[in-house]
Amino acid sequence: MPDALLLLLALLACVAGMGWFALSMDVHWSQVRGNTPRTAAFAKALRLGGAAALLLSLVLCLTVDSPSIAVLVWFMAVAGATLAIAFTLTWRASILRMLVFWTGPGAR
Amino acid sequence: MFPNFRHTMAWLHTWFGLALGLVLMVVFFFGSLSVFDREIDRWAIPDTRYEPQPMPSFDKMLAPIFKDMQPDAAARAMTAPLADGPLPDRFDTARSWGAYTTHRDPVLALFASYEVPNAKDHETAIWALRTVDPRTGDLLPVDRLKIGSEFFYPLHYSLTLDWKNVGYWIVGFSALMMLMALVTGVIMHRKIFRELFTFRPNKSTQRSMLDLHNLSGVVALPFHFFFAFTGLMIFAYIYFPVTHTQLTPLHDRHEVLESKETGLPHDRAGVAAPIASVDAMVAEAQRRWAAKGMAGDVGFLNLTHVGDANGYVSVYRAGTDRVQLAGEGIHFKASTGELLREDPPPTVVARINEFLTGLHLQHFKHWLLRWLYVLGGLSGAACIATGLFFFVEKRKRQHAKQGVSGARVVDALAVTVVTGMLVATLCMLIANRLLPDAMPAGWPLRGAMEKYLFWGSWLAAGAHAWWRTAAVAEGRLAPAWREQCLAIAVLAVAAPVLNWITTGDHLLRTVATGYWPVAGADLFMLASAALAMLAARKLQQRAARPLAVKNVTLEAGHA
Amino acid sequence: MTSITLTPRHIASRTAVAIFGGYAFTWGVVALGITLMYSAGLEFHDAEHLSYIIGFLVFLVAFLVAFAAQALRKAALVLVGGGALMSAAAWWVQGLIIGAGA
Repeated sequence: MPDALLLLLALLACVAGMGWFALSMDVHWSQVRGNTPRTAAFAKALRLGGAAALLLSLVLCLTVDSPSIAVLVWFMAVAGATLAIAFTLTWRASILRMLVFWTGPGAR
Repeated sequence: MFPNFRHTMAWLHTWFGLALGLVLMVVFFFGSLSVFDREIDRWAIPDTRYEPQPMPSFDKMLAPIFKDMQPDAAARAMTAPLADGPLPDRFDTARSWGAYTTHRDPVLALFASYEVPNAKDHETAIWALRTVDPRTGDLLPVDRLKIGSEFFYPLHYSLTLDWKNVGYWIVGFSALMMLMALVTGVIMHRKIFRELFTFRPNKSTQRSMLDLHNLSGVVALPFHFFFAFTGLMIFAYIYFPVTHTQLTPLHDRHEVLESKETGLPHDRAGVAAPIASVDAMVAEAQRRWAAKGMAGDVGFLNLTHVGDANGYVSVYRAGTDRVQLAGEGIHFKASTGELLREDPPPTVVARINEFLTGLHLQHFKHWLLRWLYVLGGLSGAACIATGLFFFVEKRKRQHAKQGVSGARVVDALAVTVVTGMLVATLCMLIANRLLPDAMPAGWPLRGAMEKYLFWGSWLAAGAHAWWRTAAVAEGRLAPAWREQCLAIAVLAVAAPVLNWITTGDHLLRTVATGYWPVAGADLFMLASAALAMLAARKLQQRAARPLAVKNVTLEAGHA
Repeated sequence: MTSITLTPRHIASRTAVAIFGGYAFTWGVVALGITLMYSAGLEFHDAEHLSYIIGFLVFLVAFLVAFAAQALRKAALVLVGGGALMSAAAWWVQGLIIGAGA
């Protein structure tokens, strides 16, 4: 797979990961999903998913570049992803519904 | 200082953050621009808008230029006070000749250092610099200021205040204060994880500015910390010159031992000797790298003790594929070309140091990482700017009631250092397109004119800032912000347009041919113009709103 | 209760202790670090770089401590005195190293 595509996937994994971390917090969950209730177990699962996505992103970075560069790319990608999620939550929170698309209103 | 530890940390963060934040804005902004300093050079010097080249032949192209080079008037003026009596007309004993090339720079930088025969300190050297077109060997006219690598970049690490290294010390102290601000900021910010994604633009200006300040600071916290820290590491020898003062005996002993161990002579023999084919030595170096499984281009070529029997040639690999700076040097005896030494793999500590400095100096080839670096740097600048905005917002109504002008002063400084700085940058680039190739007799050189116009327009922006922040003393929003945003929008469109008019390199052409150094610069400026227009519009809407009646109180701990 | 310590004079002295005391202490750490590490067999420039890494972190902490400490005089004594002691020790170790080898 070409490097550019792998790096793009790494960036997307970061965005998904940080998105799941955000959604595990009550205030952001309600920004995205409104009054839909969610269990503590689900919040925990979101955090685990977030961590897994970030780890996947790191692995993808490491397949493209030497370790010294990959680590820097990853750290900065996490920073960029966090900014993206923060601004999306502020202005277009509903977009993040796709990260929890399987939870309908009243589900779980 | 206060009985409460957090309170003291908050006080430090606020007041030292304010004072040094003004300097750090400059450091972060021009640091961000410096990521693409050589690309900015291409924009500023249209004659150099061609593709980067590998290191050309030393024997055929570089040697004659080196033999001919001499220090210029500025170097002579700087060295004159360090000598007893007048400087010689020609400097004939060259301590070193060096050539440096990068994957981003089409032009080749050549530098030479010479002994100064009548210097007070015998270690004093005088330097000469030349820039060369590696395709032809033509010299670049001396008066072409590389606005990126020779102005924005030094502005970033020394504010271009070279007298007694004062600028380096100011920037260094600011870097230490940056570390302090990050640590005290974390101590103050109790809900650091819970509020990681929080940005509330619809609340009071104070709240939304603080949210942005926290967001831009925390999100890139490792970046901010490491850049301030590694910046200090890079100039540590200036800040703590221990081995050139208190521990000089130890340092000198080490140098002597090291040159015995490495076989690289420390001093000249005083016996003249010719220089063998350097091209052959370079080819041998490349053969050896390839044999070790790390084939690469030459990044840096250096001759020491030029023309002497003890002379040696050092060839270093260009480190484009990793963070660590150029390593694995191979050294040859200059007069015969015989191999003297292959640098061994670095020690663990050396690897750590090279990683840290390489992380900051960015010789690597990775466009995504470079743009992520610009994002980090601009986040840092945003963190500082929003800190200033928060400071003013929090106090201006209170100060207006008390008849005190503190908030107004800080707002004027903020305008100068945020939008004013952008105005000055754009004015310099516009001047670069408008000034004639050769200034008329009696005028300063073109490069000097560009610098004067930079500082002059910044001063003018500062005067405008002072004049148009009077409203802050009455607790209102200063019109200076909107006015300078409009100015930025106009200037940031003018510069690319002037580039098109004066060089013919308009965006359709540069994007179509994929000449990204110039296309990127033009696109970045146009994007900035759009952002500035958006900001101006938002500021106009805010100014039209009625004044907020209640004073917002935020959690204790925000000083 | 907090206003007793917030005079311009107090702020100036805290700042002076933090900056100059911190600098003196850091100089001592760097000097002693280099000499001790070099005598322990670390390569000279490695000793230098490692001492700088430790040194800048020490300076940061010293700066914060100078402001956080209740007794300013004690902080000043520790920073300046400690720095001087470490520098003197470094001088002594340097002498030993030079004296021992040729």
